[in-house]
Amino acid sequence: MTLLALEDVVVRYGQAVAVDGVSLAVGSGERVALIGPNGAGKTSVLNAACGVIRPAAGRVEIDGRVLTHATPAAVVRRGISQVPEGRHVFATLPVEANLLLGAYGRVFRLEIVSSTLRYLRSKRDVREQLERVYELLPNLRELRERPAGRTSGGEQQMVAIGRALMARPRLLAIDELSLGLAPVLVQALAEFLVRLNEEEGVAILLVDQSAALAFSLCERAYVLETGRVVLDGASRDLEGRSEVRSAYLGRGPDDPA
Amino acid sequence: MTTFFQFVVVGISTGSVFAIVGMSLVLVYRATGIVNFAQGVFAVLAGLLTYSFVQHMPLALAAVLATLVTALVATLVAVVAVGFRGRTTHLASLIITVGIAIFAEAVLLAAFGEVPRSYPAISDRAWDVGGVLIQPQYAVLALVALAAALLLTLFLRRTIVGQALVAAADSPRAAELIGLNLRSIAVIAFAVAGALTAVGGVLLAPTVPVSYSSGLTITINGFAAAVFGGLVSIRLALLGGFALGVLQQLVVGYVDSQYSLIIALLVMLVLIGWRSRGELAV
Amino acid sequence: MSAELAAQGRTARRRRVGAARVAALVGATAFACWLPFQLGLGDVGLYDRMGLYALVAIGLTLLMGFAGQVSLGQGGFFLIGAYTSGLLTMGFDAEERLIDPQAGIDPLLAVAIAPFVTAAIAVVIGIPLMRLRGHYLAFATLAFALIAWSLLYAQDGYTGGQYGVTVSKRLVVAGHEITGATHAAVVWGLVGLALLLSTNLVSSRVGRALQAIAANEPAAAASGINVALYKLQLFVFAAAMAGLAGALFTFFAQFLGPEDFGIIVSLLFVVMVSIGGLGSVYGAVVGAVTIVYVEHKLRDLGTHETLLGWDLPSTAPSILSLGVFGLLLIVIMLFFPHGLLPGITGAVRGAWARFARESN
Repeated sequence: MTLLALEDVVVRYGQAVAVDGVSLAVGSGERVALIGPNGAGKTSVLNAACGVIRPAAGRVEIDGRVLTHATPAAVVRRGISQVPEGRHVFATLPVEANLLLGAYGRVFRLEIVSSTLRYLRSKRDVREQLERVYELLPNLRELRERPAGRTSGGEQQMVAIGRALMARPRLLAIDELSLGLAPVLVQALAEFLVRLNEEEGVAILLVDQSAALAFSLCERAYVLETGRVVLDGASRDLEGRSEVRSAYLGRGPDDPA
Repeated sequence: MTTFFQFVVVGISTGSVFAIVGMSLVLVYRATGIVNFAQGVFAVLAGLLTYSFVQHMPLALAAVLATLVTALVATLVAVVAVGFRGRTTHLASLIITVGIAIFAEAVLLAAFGEVPRSYPAISDRAWDVGGVLIQPQYAVLALVALAAALLLTLFLRRTIVGQALVAAADSPRAAELIGLNLRSIAVIAFAVAGALTAVGGVLLAPTVPVSYSSGLTITINGFAAAVFGGLVSIRLALLGGFALGVLQQLVVGYVDSQYSLIIALLVMLVLIGWRSRGELAV
Repeated sequence: MSAELAAQGRTARRRRVGAARVAALVGATAFACWLPFQLGLGDVGLYDRMGLYALVAIGLTLLMGFAGQVSLGQGGFFLIGAYTSGLLTMGFDAEERLIDPQAGIDPLLAVAIAPFVTAAIAVVIGIPLMRLRGHYLAFATLAFALIAWSLLYAQDGYTGGQYGVTVSKRLVVAGHEITGATHAAVVWGLVGLALLLSTNLVSSRVGRALQAIAANEPAAAASGINVALYKLQLFVFAAAMAGLAGALFTFFAQFLGPEDFGIIVSLLFVVMVSIGGLGSVYGAVVGAVTIVYVEHKLRDLGTHETLLGWDLPSTAPSILSLGVFGLLLIVIMLFFPHGLLPGITGAVRGAWARFARESN
């Protein structure tokens, strides 16, 4: 069952075309990667999928529903959560508040009464989900009172992932997992994501510059270059292909990220 | 010596208004990144509305109604000031609030005329504390300011809505991604701040009659208080407001009343200049 | 080889276009200086004021467009320029705090000094402020304008307070009295000069640095451009322009009173820049002309007894101007954040391009 499908999506910033007709799909339980060099448009593709940017053309389907012009809140409600590039934790709030907001964020709308009712009704479920996230990411339990800004880079990545998981997504989209993190940490996080996928059934869409990471973590991959998908297929088929190398302008999949 | 304390007492009461407006500015800025140039308008509007309503109903009811109406107007200001996602920069929002402040003066002038308006205070009988006269109105103002500081701090730290406001300021991008609607957050922040400033205005008018043109000085004084806390600290805005009020009254008393505004402005300039150490223009 | 020739050809073409533009500007300025002699008395005054405000707006638009900073206090510099030239001319006896024309200096000298005074003040205020975020500068400049205005009343021994100062000496240059139409011609001549200097500036190395700053400030800073220094220069330039305009204003009105220098004047300059486009000096002139005209019409309208069947109160002129200008500022900043004129021309150009594409 396809959780996320993009069809010929075009994203423009003024006159500049960042995404030029991209189509991709992520099925339930899959691990899919979207790779490409800096400026290829990966984040724009993600933002179009998650409702942060309105595509100038094309379709976004989430779980069979056309949600091309949806708000980010609607996308979260439909089961897709994004861990943004650079993590973007809520620095002045404690870790636990970060997590709780991940669950409540989509609950609040301007209608005060219905929002309050939704909030009260979901409190117990949210507490349960919080416990589950603490089980998956035990480090966070120790850090629960610490302001998120005062944690290390790797811990912040966990906070961001935990925050996204609080919404009980069926698809977790991660933008630049490896950014600014030591390889050991990235490896640990990657293993965690595989476990998450295999044990909890959460589909993963990994957007990253590092082709090595993407191929090791995901079964399928799309290669993006200047806004277009130049290649896609199973990871083991793509590894070592010259197009992948040239898409990175001289950097091969085995070169350090 | 009693005159000195008299000035301090009066200063604390006017300072309470500065503190209230300052804290309101901090709330809006922390939630939206916008400095609301029209914040003072809410105080004036509430005062003038109370003056109108009090002709038809008891003071307490008039005050509550005026505050509610002002909060409603504040939500409208929020929508206009936030503008269009991605297209309206923070600086553009500031200029928009400048335009709102100007437009509001026109509306207030048309609706209420030029004459400063007032209505009776809570009580006419001042308490005599060791030779210093303390109007009950002053005491209420100071208490409201203190209570507001406490409540706002608790609100931002402990309630989920308050935390959502802080989150939106910490990272608008991530806030959006978890489903928070930035425009709704702006509306909430403006409404709460507007209501708070309205209460300040309602309590101020009996001591200092307000008119359509009062908004500007109120905003500036509030901003001076807010600058004391770097635009982000509620507690420092409270302190700054009191300090500013007392300073102004001392100038009025010992120097020359014509210089009270000038001194306040100079203090603000010095504060801003002092804050410039280590800040970067973005 | 041919690439070099092509480059030379491009430079030659650019020089020709540049020369043509300068010629057009000189021609337009000549026309603008000739115009006041053809206008009726009331219109000359309006025209003069348009030119004076245009001078201020030119300075402000460069500040807002290239430094991205909003100054809500240009009226303060205008005020200081006016009162500096006026008080220096009329002189005063410091002991008696009385106006003493014998102690006054030559008006021309006073007019020349005023911009330097405002520039000096701008340096003092500007150095700490240029590094700050926009809202700090906005409030600081507003505070400055308010301080200047409050001092008018507080030091009324020197400034005449609410009653003002009559400037009985006239500005004389080489035996010619600069009043009336002549004054307007001089003002517009200066506007033309300012435009010429500004367009030269934009194409120079300084101008390129400014454009780099406007396009992407962090990148410009990273490439070695001293952003704070350039911003300060723009701020000082804008202040000097306002000071010069104020000094000339003194010998236009021959009277100095607080009503001409209220806070609303500072805010009007921002509206003018918003209309013409942030960074566009020609737009600034358009903005100034528009606002002065609209203000004049609104005041006319406000002095009627009734309007559309409603009885107008005596405060109607204020209500109308405040309302219209406030609304203008809101609408422009919401829908045309780079300025009204650029927004409109952009939209027209876009529509024309679409039309051309579809008809092919």
